[in-house]
Amino acid sequence: MYYLFFQHLNSKVQLTEEEQAQIKTYLTFKKLRKKQYLLQEGDVCKVIAFVEKGALRAFSVDDNSNEHIIQFGLEGWTISDLYSFLTGEPATYNIEALEDSELVIISKSAHEELLQTMPKYETFTRLNITGAYLAMQRRLTSTNSSSVEERYQDFISLYPHIAQRVPQHMIASYLGLTPETLSRIRKRISSK
Amino acid sequence: MKTTQTIAIIGASGNMGAAISRSLAKGNYRLLLCANNLDKVQAVAEEIRNSNPGAEVEAADCTREASWEADIIIAAVPYAAEQEVAAKIREVANQKVVISIANPLNNTYDGLVTAPETSAAEELQKLLPNSKIVKAFNTTFAADFTTPVIDGRQADAFIAGNDEEALQTVSELVATAGFNPVIAGNLAVSGTLERMQLLLIQLNNKYNYNWLAGWKILHQSANLN
Repeated sequence: MYYLFFQHLNSKVQLTEEEQAQIKTYLTFKKLRKKQYLLQEGDVCKVIAFVEKGALRAFSVDDNSNEHIIQFGLEGWTISDLYSFLTGEPATYNIEALEDSELVIISKSAHEELLQTMPKYETFTRLNITGAYLAMQRRLTSTNSSSVEERYQDFISLYPHIAQRVPQHMIASYLGLTPETLSRIRKRISSK
Repeated sequence: MKTTQTIAIIGASGNMGAAISRSLAKGNYRLLLCANNLDKVQAVAEEIRNSNPGAEVEAADCTREASWEADIIIAAVPYAAEQEVAAKIREVANQKVVISIANPLNNTYDGLVTAPETSAAEELQKLLPNSKIVKAFNTTFAADFTTPVIDGRQADAFIAGNDEEALQTVSELVATAGFNPVIAGNLAVSGTLERMQLLLIQLNNKYNYNWLAGWKILHQSANLN
């Protein structure tokens, strides 16, 4: 229910048993079934979710009802609409379970209380947000200045386990391609 | 809120549990109905689906699993069963809203079994220290859920708890059920709310209201200054 979460936490900041027990009192354990939503666009995002088991995706929907996948969340990752979480403005993302999932959730109020009371949690948060920032910059650079083929290959080498679990049309959406274009790229690569 | 919330209703085959389940099925909620007797609770789920084909409702025989899945938990069980339920859900109810509906009446309905300085809700809070206990749905009879407007007036339903966000969440549930939600105060007010229901039961028996009766606070319009 929370094994992976504490393993992840301990890999960043070593916690004592007492600290671990204290953090545990602030956590919410939640299950989502495939196709259920953790968040829908328009609601304020009040949680950060750590994926203990399963897979989720965060996506936005444009005016023409096209979905754009922003992020995947697999075991050991966190997923949220951080913009909405931090500003309190309505979320622009939807977060949906791609498989039956188990989440460890930190609510905004629990997050703020932990930041105030536990320096190690603050360190953990800083490392997490730094990591999210780095990932975002890498994604932005890749989207703006790499060829579509490079984008796909970068994705496969960075996240080989996602490619195995998520349907191709979602990977295309994540990379900003049509499924047809992605299919052509895959053929081209495999024929090399 | 657009995102569908999942509610586990523990004791959903009982009078109150079934009444709450039926009325909440009208809202944007996914209901997991739990009871020790799966057949009974399946019948309630089926009846809800028949009368409201759009309702998202499911019967479950495992209280812990359903509470793990849920965002909100309703302990629709008698006071005597709260301890057993709390032991089952203790870990998975962490940080979640848990609604206590119980009135700790004695066998002769002329007093409460709890000490004067406490209440069923506060005792549940002690058993689930990391949950957000809210007292609600305890001042209404099961029949009121089908008739929340009695003699032309919408019954009030009182709510007590210590967490502001949890009180708002439960107010929405109470309004969905058709009652006028009144936040009475923090969890310590629960004892008063439980005694109010003791009085209502005594009056029901004395004047034969046929279990269709409720509370209504008469007041001037709220002074917004």
